[in-house]
Amino acid sequence: MYRWYLALRWLLSRPINLLGMAGVTVSVWALIVVVSIFSGFLVEVRKHVRAVTSDLTVLNVPPSLPYAQLDAVLRSDPNVAATAPRLSWYGLLHPLGKRQEIAPRVRTLDAPAGDVPLVSLVGIVPTLEREVTGFGQWVDAVTDPALRVPDAAQPLDRPPGDKPAILVSERRLRGEFVGPGAVAKVTSARLGERDDRDGGMQKLAAEFTIAGCYTTRHTAFDDLTCFVPIETLRRVMQLPAATSVSEVVVRCRDGGRATATAARLERRLNAERGGLEPVILVRTWDQLHAQFLAAVEHQRSLMKLVLIVIMVVAAFLMFATLSMMVTEKTHDIGILSAMGAARSGILRVFLFCGLSITAVGTGLGIVAGCLSSVYLDSFNRWLRATFDVDLFPPRIYHLDRVPYDLDPAWIAQVAAMALILGLVVSGLPAWRAARHDPVESLRHE
Amino acid sequence: MTEAILEAREVTKSYRLGRREISVLGGVNLALGQGEMLALLGASGAGKSTLLHVLGLLDPPTSGEILFAGTAAHSLPAAARASLRHRQIGFVFQFYHLIPELTALQNVQLGRMMLESPLGYWRQRRAVREQAEQLLTEVGLSERLRHRPAELSGGEKQRVAIARALIADPRVILADEPTGNLDSKTAGEVLEILFRINDERGIAFVLVTHNEELADRCQRIVRLRDGAVIG
Repeated sequence: MYRWYLALRWLLSRPINLLGMAGVTVSVWALIVVVSIFSGFLVEVRKHVRAVTSDLTVLNVPPSLPYAQLDAVLRSDPNVAATAPRLSWYGLLHPLGKRQEIAPRVRTLDAPAGDVPLVSLVGIVPTLEREVTGFGQWVDAVTDPALRVPDAAQPLDRPPGDKPAILVSERRLRGEFVGPGAVAKVTSARLGERDDRDGGMQKLAAEFTIAGCYTTRHTAFDDLTCFVPIETLRRVMQLPAATSVSEVVVRCRDGGRATATAARLERRLNAERGGLEPVILVRTWDQLHAQFLAAVEHQRSLMKLVLIVIMVVAAFLMFATLSMMVTEKTHDIGILSAMGAARSGILRVFLFCGLSITAVGTGLGIVAGCLSSVYLDSFNRWLRATFDVDLFPPRIYHLDRVPYDLDPAWIAQVAAMALILGLVVSGLPAWRAARHDPVESLRHE
Repeated sequence: MTEAILEAREVTKSYRLGRREISVLGGVNLALGQGEMLALLGASGAGKSTLLHVLGLLDPPTSGEILFAGTAAHSLPAAARASLRHRQIGFVFQFYHLIPELTALQNVQLGRMMLESPLGYWRQRRAVREQAEQLLTEVGLSERLRHRPAELSGGEKQRVAIARALIADPRVILADEPTGNLDSKTAGEVLEILFRINDERGIAFVLVTHNEELADRCQRIVRLRDGAVIG
């Protein structure tokens, strides 16, 4: 009993111990808040990436392989619900008559899309595409009637005039074009059949009429992607086969079994072709974006590491204050020995001191961390309204609120880490206290 | 003399100071009977405090034996020595040695806390508190229960130390010049308390002192010179 009693009395009588406790609180708080925000951000990023990617994507499709043949193989799999062909190419998109500056202006946060003419042209069949991806929702998500396509069911129908339709993102439309009905020119190139004096380079150019726009929550996707009818893109690219596709997007009946389905389809598709090059690849949505998602995940891991260093610093602070306490209490250690305290008892008095500091600091840190995560968005709104300061600017992160994801397992890990560290750093001073010679301690002034 | 409760047999104690070995006790033989009041007289540096620490199992002898109730106590494991010290031996020091953060009452209660687990103490807390209050009342400190050592006079601190030594109901109290830091009037009052305890409770005392007059009041006097008993 005396161990806890004395530990608490000594802690309460020495305000300097609050320093160690504050250190533990701050480090636990930081570990919980920062990681919860990073995790929330990661969840949002995954949601955004997921929203613009189909369950499976068949890649590396040779131009000679007709879509119908691929579709037949894919649909023979019990987990495949729908497929849609895609043809992707890159080009420079700019309004007709507008001259591109020699050096494009640096992309800014406020005008992210308009100044960059490079686009990914995705040729689709809208009716099939909306069966597989969220294409229909992206078109419907445009709220401004002046920017919407006239017929959401057929967004790439040929608009009035003789030019084919192109669908650009709302961000690009607002930044670059006057509005639907404007004419945009796409310039591109491809390697031709023969290697002539231009290196076989063929210039490709076409004019399109802006049919309207779409919007997703994935800013990078919106900034880069334009949709055109697949047959138009085939013609622009002067592809020899009228059925060419560069990829096929697939919707699974059970998304949870997508990885197994991808492996199965990849085997079957390549077997059907008798193992010919190029090897067709089938990737799940997360495999397709693995590098990007891993980069965000890696940033979170680095942040954890940095914050754990702060916890180690706090632990050293605790070690210093406890060591000081042992020196100050040398005389009292002698008194306790004379009263019959065993060395293990004295050791435990100081261990309890360290553990109490850590436990209270960790508890406060957890409570503060959870509350901060939950109320950070409200706090940020207040800061924005009152001081025009934004901790999480939407123009940078493209999120309308500060995200967070409190993971109980991470909180438990942080608490365990703090307690173990507290035990280790209080162990050394405690051991030193227990080793004191009682007679020498009694003489200590 | 009654059967010895605490006994030193051929006890030597020496310290190493660099290459030199300094002998403090040289073959001390001493037996303390149950309920006996023994005065340990000697000049400064005679080895009185060292002998007291060795008898109280705070400091191990270099050679020789310490027997408590006939059992070799010096060779017990450290935890068993600590337990024996706590349950059977009380200390009263010249400089009181109270825990400064605790009140008089808490300093006394601390002795009982050492015996109990948190749950066991919680169950008995009222009884322990009453016992501590009663002991402090016995030594004349009923009005000073909630004062910290810094708020008490030297005599009052020494009375708290005596009450603390009594709470575990020991069979021996080792008092190292308990009045050495007090004025004569207060010293007299403290001594009266010690003699009364010896008389009423039958606790054996080893009273280290320079004071011949005080020693004369004890049942037996042992004189120490240069680490050896001379009479």
